[in-house]
Amino acid sequence: MAASPPRRGAARPAASRLAPLLWLGPSLVLIAAVVLWPAVEMVRTSFLRISSSGLTLGGAGAGNYRELFTSEALVPVLLRTLLWVGGVVGVTMLLALGLGQLLNARFPGRRVVRWAVIVPWAASVLMTALIFRWMLDNDSGLVNRVLLDLGVLDAPVNWLAEPGWALFWMMTVAVFVSLPFASFVILAGLQAIPRDVYEAARVDGAGWFTTYVRITLPMLRPALIIASIINVINVFNSFPIIWAMTRGGPGNATDTTTTYMYKIAFVEQDVGQSAAMAVVNFGLVLVMVLLYLRVTREAR
Amino acid sequence: MKRPLRTALAVGLAAVLTASGCGKGSSSAGDDDGKTIRFVAAIYDDNTKPFWERLIKDFEAKNSGYKVKLEMVDWETMDSKVKTYVQTKQVPDVLNYNAFSDFARDGLIYKASEVVSPQVLTDFTPTFVEQAKYKGEQYGLPFISSARLLFYNEDLFAKAGINGAPKTWDDVKNAAQKIKAKGDIGYGLPLGPEEAQAEFYSWAMNNGGGWVDGSGKWAIDQPANLATLNFLRDLTKSGLTQPNPEATDRKKVFNQFAQGRIGMAIGGPFTRAGFIDPVNKNLKFKVAPLPSKSGAEHNTLGVMDVLAAFKKDGDKNREAVKRFLDFFYQAEKTSEFLKLEGFLPVTKSAGDALSSDPYMKQFVDALPTSKFAPTTNPSWSAVAGAVKTDLGSAVASQEPKTVLEKIQQTAEKAG
Repeated sequence: MAASPPRRGAARPAASRLAPLLWLGPSLVLIAAVVLWPAVEMVRTSFLRISSSGLTLGGAGAGNYRELFTSEALVPVLLRTLLWVGGVVGVTMLLALGLGQLLNARFPGRRVVRWAVIVPWAASVLMTALIFRWMLDNDSGLVNRVLLDLGVLDAPVNWLAEPGWALFWMMTVAVFVSLPFASFVILAGLQAIPRDVYEAARVDGAGWFTTYVRITLPMLRPALIIASIINVINVFNSFPIIWAMTRGGPGNATDTTTTYMYKIAFVEQDVGQSAAMAVVNFGLVLVMVLLYLRVTREAR
Repeated sequence: MKRPLRTALAVGLAAVLTASGCGKGSSSAGDDDGKTIRFVAAIYDDNTKPFWERLIKDFEAKNSGYKVKLEMVDWETMDSKVKTYVQTKQVPDVLNYNAFSDFARDGLIYKASEVVSPQVLTDFTPTFVEQAKYKGEQYGLPFISSARLLFYNEDLFAKAGINGAPKTWDDVKNAAQKIKAKGDIGYGLPLGPEEAQAEFYSWAMNNGGGWVDGSGKWAIDQPANLATLNFLRDLTKSGLTQPNPEATDRKKVFNQFAQGRIGMAIGGPFTRAGFIDPVNKNLKFKVAPLPSKSGAEHNTLGVMDVLAAFKKDGDKNREAVKRFLDFFYQAEKTSEFLKLEGFLPVTKSAGDALSSDPYMKQFVDALPTSKFAPTTNPSWSAVAGAVKTDLGSAVASQEPKTVLEKIQQTAEKAG
């Protein structure tokens, strides 16, 4: 809306060339307002010195970045973030390939199964994480009860207090909530593969393995790329699972860059440095997505 | 080449227009006449909102033309909201919070004497006034207070053959060992990120330790604190506490305490109504002074929340804010709030009203010996943050000395 006056005022010959803006305009304005502007603000904030009360005290130059890069928690947090994203997305995609195939097969009750797979997606991530936290409780949790009764454990384990186990369980939850979306994108991809290609393969005498590797996977490529990129971004930015289950603790032992960023702002009370972390985060997602696109394009 | 350029220009222009549009819209919202104020109140429990709604209705009826817009915020999101208010210049006129000194340092709030009447000012208990000062001037308005005492389960004590409350740290350890021998948990130690600073300080102050030295400088790695942390680590490593104190919050400890499975834990006046009664109304427990290393003197941890009044456009809002605050600080209003929420008084006039309940009286009586976290230091919230994050690891994977030194460094950096 705001962009319309300058358009009107433009000279006549240009008017026809600017005509598409009439259609593009609203969405461009929307993108600028909700995507570009906050991003610009974020970068600007990362160069400001902000008091613990929230008041801007002046410019900080590269000070926020210098402090961020010298903090000893940063490198472990970055490595853990890579493990978190790589692990969750990798496992999710593998499982989703199988699940997509299953949902694509014809069997009685398929509709029910398809609906059931949507459930973890439809449920609030925060609720799912909290339910898992209670199930993993060392004192009254279901997981310990079952494992104790089965004789797998001798004494209850405090799963979320041991960084290694905590990370494992949180990744399990992340896979659990990412699975529906990935499976359905793959299901859509499978349904788009024409039947005659498979018939031709059968006529040529290809086995199921060859058919899968030479036909299904290559033809799923667009679906896989979309599913994994969106997944990478989602998992990278995933805050509620970690926050609800361990708050990144003990210490910073289960923090990813996203929860660490929050802690810098609201535990260490340094909004400027937190914005610097956000910029680094933003850069990382960008680099990861670009790298991924590059790799998948080269493999074509 | 031209088209992308133009598009970019259009986008840029649009962004600028939207941005400036947003800025205009929000700063002129509402209170033009200075008679309408915004009050951001913290949610303590389900009773908080109805209390304020009633109070505001009453206030508006008695002060015609004045209006108070109430905004309730829960403690989980309070910190981020407050920072956002300040950063976007949308501060409320009155804020109910647990810190004030960085607002005072940054010149954002009124001095107490500017926004309440002299009667109210002299009614505040001196202990709390001291905690509400920044550089010798009172800025914060004490709102509610709380203290900590040792809760112990009488049945477990009887079962283990322990007579009376532990007075020294050795008593605590002995009692915990006896309780453990009967198959229960000796001491409930919540050193998780929720309130590690309060639990630790409750022990450290009874060993002559603390956050600062005599001259007000940070002294977090002082020997008395190290000895305290070693004691807590020893309790943990000897299996006398619940497993993993570094990942336990108060709710979990008091849930198990209420179930009769933990012998001792440190709690506040709110513990009975908030944690014990909902689980087990029939629990037989008693409350005693916090144990100390020597057993000679027993300090208690004092906690205080405040109201802070923000300056806006000079002092246009001052009259309305003052009327509202004076209205709230009438004895019957404040004591009604304290009773409702289970907190301790910060004014002399509300003090007696609470002492009729024997449970509450113990906490009221403990207030004179209370020591506070250095909330008058604007850096305290950053230090408390580091303590919450890191302190618990000292009873688990890290060495107490390393942990304290790390927090000391953070504190010195924060100023």
